[in-house]
Amino acid sequence: MAAAEPSPALELHGVFKAFGGKPALEDARFSLAWGEVHALVGENGAGKSTLMNVATGVYAADAGSQAIDGVAHLPSSPQEASAAGLAMVHQHFRLVERFTVAENVLLALDGKGGARSIGDAARLIREKSAEIGLAIDPARVVESLSTAERQRVEIIKVLLLGARVVIFDEPTAVLTEAEASSLLRFARRLADSGHAVVLITHKLKEVSRHTDRVTVMRHGRTVLAGAPIASLDEAEVGRLIVGETVIPTARPRTAPGARLLEIAGLAFPGQMPGEGIGIVLKAGEVLGIAGVGGNGQEDLVACLAGSLKPLGGDILLDGRDITMASPVTRRRRGLRVIPADRFASGLVRQMTIAENLAMTGIAAGAYGRSPRLDRRRMEKAAAAAIADFDIRGAAPARRTELLSGGNAQKVLLARELDAGLKVLIAHSPSRGLDVRATEFVRGAIRAAVEKGAACLLISEDLQEILALSHRVAVMNGGRIAGIREIDAVTSEWIGGLLTGHV
Amino acid sequence: MIFLLGWLAIVPTYTTPLLLASIGLILCERAGVLNLGAEGLMALGAMTAAITILAGYSPIVGFLAGGLAAMALSLVFGLAVVVFRAEQTLAGLATVAIGLGLTGTIGRPFVQKTFSGLPDFYALFGLRGAEAWVRLVGHQDAITLLAPVAALAAWWWLYRTRPGLKLRAVGENPAAADIAGTDVQKTQLGAVLFSGLLCGLGGAYLTVAVSHVWVENMIAARGWIAIALVIFARWSPARAILGAVVFGSADALVPRLQAIGADVPVYLMMMLPYALTLLVLFLTALRGRGSGEPQALGATYLRQDKQ
Amino acid sequence: MSNGFLSATLLRRQHAGRLRPVLSNLAGLAFGITVSSAILIAAGVPADALIDEFLVATFLTSDGLAQTVTAAGPLILVGLASAIAMRIRFWNIGVEGQMWAGAIAATFVAIHQVGPEATRLPLGLVLAFAGGALWIWPMLVMKVRFGINEVITTLLSGNLAFLLVQHLLFGVWRDPASSFPISIEFPPASQFAMLGWGQVHTGIILCLAVAVVAWLLMEFSTLGYFATAIGFSRKVAAETGLPVRRITTALVLASGGLAGLAGGLVLSGTQHRLSQTLSGGYLFSAIVAAYLARSNPLGVVVTAVALAAVYTASDVLKVFYSVSEAVIVLVQGVVLMSILVAQFFTQFSIHLPDRPKQRGR
Repeated sequence: MAAAEPSPALELHGVFKAFGGKPALEDARFSLAWGEVHALVGENGAGKSTLMNVATGVYAADAGSQAIDGVAHLPSSPQEASAAGLAMVHQHFRLVERFTVAENVLLALDGKGGARSIGDAARLIREKSAEIGLAIDPARVVESLSTAERQRVEIIKVLLLGARVVIFDEPTAVLTEAEASSLLRFARRLADSGHAVVLITHKLKEVSRHTDRVTVMRHGRTVLAGAPIASLDEAEVGRLIVGETVIPTARPRTAPGARLLEIAGLAFPGQMPGEGIGIVLKAGEVLGIAGVGGNGQEDLVACLAGSLKPLGGDILLDGRDITMASPVTRRRRGLRVIPADRFASGLVRQMTIAENLAMTGIAAGAYGRSPRLDRRRMEKAAAAAIADFDIRGAAPARRTELLSGGNAQKVLLARELDAGLKVLIAHSPSRGLDVRATEFVRGAIRAAVEKGAACLLISEDLQEILALSHRVAVMNGGRIAGIREIDAVTSEWIGGLLTGHV
Repeated sequence: MIFLLGWLAIVPTYTTPLLLASIGLILCERAGVLNLGAEGLMALGAMTAAITILAGYSPIVGFLAGGLAAMALSLVFGLAVVVFRAEQTLAGLATVAIGLGLTGTIGRPFVQKTFSGLPDFYALFGLRGAEAWVRLVGHQDAITLLAPVAALAAWWWLYRTRPGLKLRAVGENPAAADIAGTDVQKTQLGAVLFSGLLCGLGGAYLTVAVSHVWVENMIAARGWIAIALVIFARWSPARAILGAVVFGSADALVPRLQAIGADVPVYLMMMLPYALTLLVLFLTALRGRGSGEPQALGATYLRQDKQ
Repeated sequence: MSNGFLSATLLRRQHAGRLRPVLSNLAGLAFGITVSSAILIAAGVPADALIDEFLVATFLTSDGLAQTVTAAGPLILVGLASAIAMRIRFWNIGVEGQMWAGAIAATFVAIHQVGPEATRLPLGLVLAFAGGALWIWPMLVMKVRFGINEVITTLLSGNLAFLLVQHLLFGVWRDPASSFPISIEFPPASQFAMLGWGQVHTGIILCLAVAVVAWLLMEFSTLGYFATAIGFSRKVAAETGLPVRRITTALVLASGGLAGLAGGLVLSGTQHRLSQTLSGGYLFSAIVAAYLARSNPLGVVVTAVALAAVYTASDVLKVFYSVSEAVIVLVQGVVLMSILVAQFFTQFSIHLPDRPKQRGR
């Protein structure tokens, strides 16, 4: 554990920030010492990333003070922060995919540190890579690198730019367990060599072994500031964060029934070699597919929804083959989809609630064959859905782009959870929603399943999987790595499958 | 044989305007801006060059004036799409309209007035005789030699220098370039101005060196062919030389066939460059789209957008 | 963040509201007209003559109004052609080429006297529509199957169409009695009847009817609803099961067809023969008319009439002030550019850089 230095590496105090009236940070504070690994913990929307974005000049705070190495300094741009030695490794990498590693680094360095040509950049990369023990080949094209390797490029980039305080935003979210622990050990080495490291994460359990102190945030406030990890009571931290993983002991099926969805030998591009995906889903159950994103979940959903043609295999819906069927046909046979990005795939943002709600029905012929658009009927249906699903502050004629995330998702649910539902494919259905909306979504899915539907739930949020599923599967490299009943699930089992060790 | 020689001799003069324009367009598109205004910019360059020469200035001055006039128009386009984030396709069409409109209006009184333009090597070196090499060399002028050099220089700048790297980054992933400290707007605006300059020079070449007169419909869709050429060249200035030669050869075939009185319906013959362009676009797409296309081409960049 | 020209922060508006787009468009239009007027004045047209010609003569005199109405007909059709393609974000720039294709079809029917006299004109128009649709069809396939940019392909097809017309005019369809490259005059059975007011012919009724039908389809039919959805988000439309391919094909072919019909209309209604001019540069007019009207068919009627007024006025300006008809194209370009720039105020909002208040520790 690091001893307290006279000047903290980074200190933030009294920070307020609101986005369009909605407060994101309220009197937030944070203090980071040199030589330590400091975890900044909290649930989605707690304000951790926002606070660090303020610190690195991405956002301008509405009020508050900041000091870097004891000197009062509020950077007004990431470039300024970088010049002051403060850098963030983001979740979404800012790399030019078509360029090589060396070209990306040269772009970022642009002459600093003697990097005037690609050859210079390559040399600097190799030196730094050897120095800190992170292997990366400067000549590789970023497009060909794995997520973990791209993260290393980002890290080397910020270190070469002279960062002494390195902030990692959810670094382990896209890594396998082996890659994650490798990264965390690297963070330790970095701190030991004189830097200061912040790990923004919502998985405290994962990072606790490598961390010195913890700060907890909730709803934009700092609820626990810089407590040494050893002094922490896990239960108390869990309470503070609100919601750590709880695995239920058993979950009975209320309406078990026939096989509604049968997938056999499903193959699509990018899968690891081996057999295709095989899943059997019965009425009245939820099968949750866990797994770090980028392991084929999008492709699986696309094959099921009908927007991607599989390379091989069969999909049977209630006994009928829909492998090559159009989305309209699948829908008619009882398939419903809740996509991960509701405005990229599910709703047309510029159209009204009524127009969005009726779209799938009209396309499938539910409104009859007449070419005339029956707006009256659409509005009535929309009004009913708004009441049933408690969509706040909305009239049928309101454009969906004006709705909050939770309400927009409710519109999607209202459309998909209709009378003809047999099989629901739900992809990260409560991503980005607040607690109340999340509960609503999960409740709606539960209710539909209890009435006899089947649900294939695909989510990176393990909590969501465990809250809803009767069986849990893990997806890795485009394949199902294992399936178990909920009462047989343990963290070790899930972790092992994610890394391919089982 | 004579036909072949005669044809090869004039190919470079048809290649040059396409090459010049496409170099500018490649750099512009590499920065992520789709400049569909080429036709209007070339027209403006052609007319301005003619007017300048008719006003008594030297051919070189006319040539440069054409480039500068087109650059001025491209500034309007650049401000519209880079600063005001206007829809690039429509803004490009508006630029064509403005360019063609201006040249049709201002250029009216100067139509069909011939002048002696840029001297070719026949005149410059006093070449005489009917040997093959004389014919081949004599028809060229300084600019036909400089154009490929410019293309290679552009290629070298784009791939081997830091500013070129930054420009390419802006066209592939403007958010990444922005975060790395590149001024996206300045880069894009600079690229647009450069494309304006070169399209203007390409158009100016047509009046200054090829026809020595300004007529209506001077450009005859060559601006659009240049845009198609960029796709064929896979956004590389070096490959643009090859593309320009292919299209220029087809373009040069038409007057040659007419000159020897070939028994081909003249208007069907004149379709050749356009039909060829369509064919080439089709074949290039067959080979596999997106080969070399800058990933952020045509996109509007806003720092505050979720990346 | 102080990079770039605007040190203020630019944010994308989440929703534009109802009033803002209207105001921005009007402001852009006003700016464009002002600049165009300035250009015309610089070209030697006195300011009062401008108002006189553009407003008084074109709308308030019988002759002027008649000419405006006549010119508005084909403009309505090409404007609609452009608009319905724009709805699903297909840039049909080859409107002129499709007009030529339609004109060729109409000429064929007229001078070869195809079919009984009673059906001659309708047949000519139907084939004109088919000709336009046929001319755009390969470009549609290239876009949908191979992803080839339709701006270039449709435009080049226009060049090809014009050359084909030249070929025919100097060849098999040349009127032996004339020294100009024109076809023989259409027999009366292939002409629209005159309405007795200037050059206005019954074709204008057809244009208005088409506009109304287009509006009804877009506003009240399932097709229009689907098309709007596809235009906003092709991906969502495909995934919710909309027949994207079918609707795209239908609308794009209809777009080409309407342009072809416009060609047939000009020949059968005004020119009565095939010649090298198709009265005016329709290419940009179509786009301006459609964009100004936000792809609304009834709006297109309004913008088409406004553009027709510009055409009428410029005819006069050409004669009296020797201003070339290229000035129309210039005006259209300036107006289009102004309106495009004006969209900025609808789509984005500017926030001045906030200065955080430093509270001491």
